[in-house]
Amino acid sequence: MSVKEILGRFHEIAADPKAMKDKYLSEGREIVLVNYYTPEEIVHSMGAVPMGAWGADVKINEAKKYFPTFICSIVQSAVELGMKGEYAGAKAFIIPSLCDSLKVMGQNWKVAVPSIKFIPMTYPQNRKPEYGAQFTKAGYERVISELEELGLPRFSDEKLKASLSVYEEHNRVMNEVSELMASHPEISNQERSDVFKSAFFMLKEEHTALVKELINALKEQKPGTDKLKIMTSGIICDAPDILKILDENGLQIVCDDVCTETRQYRASYKEKATALDSLVSKFCDMDQDTLLYDADKTRIDYIVEKAKKTGAKGVLLLLTKFCDPEEFDAPMIRKACEKAGLSVNIIEIDRQMVNYEQARTSIETFRDLLNG
Amino acid sequence: MAEEQVKKHRTPPDPNSAKYKLGQIAAKAYQDAFDAKVRGEKIGWCASNFPVEIPETLGIAVVYPENQAAAIAARGFGQQMCEISEADGYSNDICAYARISLAYAKTKDCEGQQVPMPDFVLCCNNICNCMIKWYENLAKELGIPMIMIDIPFNPDYDVPESEVAYVKAQFLDAIHQLEKITGKKWSPEKYKEVMEYSGRSSRAWLAATATAKYEPSPFNGFDLLNHMAVMVTARGKKEAAEAMELLLKEYEQNHAEGKSTYRGEEKYRIMFEGIACWPYLRATSHGLKDRGINMVTTIYADAFGFIYKDFDDMCAQYCKVPNAINLEYARDKRVKLCKENKVEGLLVHTNRSCKLWSGFMPEMSRQIGEECGIPVASFDGDQADPRNFSEAQYDTRVQGLTEIMEANKEG
Ligand code: SF4
Ligand code: SF4
Repeated sequence: MSVKEILGRFHEIAADPKAMKDKYLSEGREIVLVNYYTPEEIVHSMGAVPMGAWGADVKINEAKKYFPTFICSIVQSAVELGMKGEYAGAKAFIIPSLCDSLKVMGQNWKVAVPSIKFIPMTYPQNRKPEYGAQFTKAGYERVISELEELGLPRFSDEKLKASLSVYEEHNRVMNEVSELMASHPEISNQERSDVFKSAFFMLKEEHTALVKELINALKEQKPGTDKLKIMTSGIICDAPDILKILDENGLQIVCDDVCTETRQYRASYKEKATALDSLVSKFCDMDQDTLLYDADKTRIDYIVEKAKKTGAKGVLLLLTKFCDPEEFDAPMIRKACEKAGLSVNIIEIDRQMVNYEQARTSIETFRDLLNG
Repeated sequence: MAEEQVKKHRTPPDPNSAKYKLGQIAAKAYQDAFDAKVRGEKIGWCASNFPVEIPETLGIAVVYPENQAAAIAARGFGQQMCEISEADGYSNDICAYARISLAYAKTKDCEGQQVPMPDFVLCCNNICNCMIKWYENLAKELGIPMIMIDIPFNPDYDVPESEVAYVKAQFLDAIHQLEKITGKKWSPEKYKEVMEYSGRSSRAWLAATATAKYEPSPFNGFDLLNHMAVMVTARGKKEAAEAMELLLKEYEQNHAEGKSTYRGEEKYRIMFEGIACWPYLRATSHGLKDRGINMVTTIYADAFGFIYKDFDDMCAQYCKVPNAINLEYARDKRVKLCKENKVEGLLVHTNRSCKLWSGFMPEMSRQIGEECGIPVASFDGDQADPRNFSEAQYDTRVQGLTEIMEANKEG
């Protein structure tokens, strides 16, 4: 397939996760919903398909019964989709309690969408000491027993080991493709987003295969003319309108600190006595993330360093409305970037945005600043 | 979640009353911290549900930013402090306590409530994860160490052993870190004493708040919002245990004499859900009083029953604070309070600042209403940012609640 064809395939998948869900269901596979950081590898090793559930750009109607207005739209729209039957057929939803809104999401989910079992994943914030690793392991064991109770095949460490290899390879290709896309300005921001987003709706081995095809095809393709390089940061960056405005303004995302993009692929597994312990080590090694305790605010330095390393001239912070973890970091990010000579633009986004004119003006100003 | 002494005394308070003594304890905590700082000791800022037993046993003076923010808000300085943080780029969606505290960390001055600047911060997220980000920023901006005790939200009814083990290990770690920072030493004897006082305070608090079962209740529930500051921060002190026991005695005596701190006829008895709207304490309390409504109970009545037999048990108790428990457990605690105190209606503060507290409250209050057969009304507000409350809306909602309670009485 050509680069365009492969990117077209990524787009189809990213734009219609329901079709993927139905495909897997028709093949007799079980589906387990996941988001943020969850032990997807366990789900995979038990033969089910982990599928990302990050909500969608929809209007909130039914979920209003459960949430006050000031809970973020990722949480609210995921519950909305659940209530409307969009996730029908999924067995369970593993929801981590990494922020206050995710904590309440789990509690509301079990009442609002009782047909899809809520499986809590409680991670430790103090994840560096040994006791943090033990608590992570206890959380994983609980997920395992809940999945077994739902009738999934019994857990085996051997099978998990095999799944870790699949995920490790996927991690590797995602990092590779991310760098490669940065050197191909002809790839639009929408296309870049599709590559990341589709990963949530496919078995990782299948996604890896498609990404490898893209890598090979891209290596054959002559890079297009340079654009203005920027870095993005935030929880999500998949709104087609925002991506289009960036494209129209000649801005190219060359790297990101976006939760649904490369933040997923930063940590890897350590060799341990069991595969489950290796999986634990991956979580405990995670850093530079708003959702994980970070007294030294290393995320801020990470953004500055990453932007400098990749030649990004500015940082676009996409602040999800009502996301307090991210909102707490915003002032420090701005300060640190400005100190390092990087332009910063902060745009508040949510999944119910219909009018992008303000965002457009803001991005245009940002472009002018970068040009100047 | 935090409270403070805010009521203005119209007549000079009786220095032998529990109210006076409790007020003194809360005020003294600030003074102790100032004095310690002057003596050159290291002092901390501390999250309200951080295990108070740790600084208390070590003899370390701490102040509570949540209490400070509540005081600042109650005295009318909430908005100006929030705006300082907002000018620095903090979104106005962030908890107002955090915005006020971050503003104070910057200005180091607010006549609403002064506190000494910290040498370290003690964070515990059993009430919210917002706390983690807030304290990270304090630590970073002030260049001081942060001690973090992570008590995760428990999705189960009971506290699993793995959680108690995780929490206990962190308590021990926090003690060691604090010993290192302050040079003070942990003493098991002193801990035992603190544990005993905390138990005495807690038992008295539970018994005092339980006197609301009498009709009329011997106290106005708004009293609890004031007195709980002592339960949050000082329950391990001898004076606190004594003052709480005195409070219980006074409430029992009120009942015996047919008196109450609720002035007027108690026509309706409600449970109030959520943190008080500190900037509108008067308006919110009058809205009830004018209709003969007494708020006889709140979850705080249950929340400070910190009774434990040893260190491990104490760790388990900290895993059960209101914002750390699941829907079913949180609901059952409230249903029990409603039933025991013959509550006729539930008034819910949908608190813009507090995502965790308000985030599953619509469902919880529905379930409470059904199980207790009582009406539920909610109003929008904020515990410290005055811009998020409308007196007109409050009034309409309280009126609606009153009408249903009235109809229920007649029916
Ligand atoms: S991290 Fe932010 S966007 Fe994600 S669920 Fe929590 S509040 Fe919402
Ligand atoms: S978010 Fe809620 S629990 Fe946390 S500090 Fe603010 S008011 Fe208290």
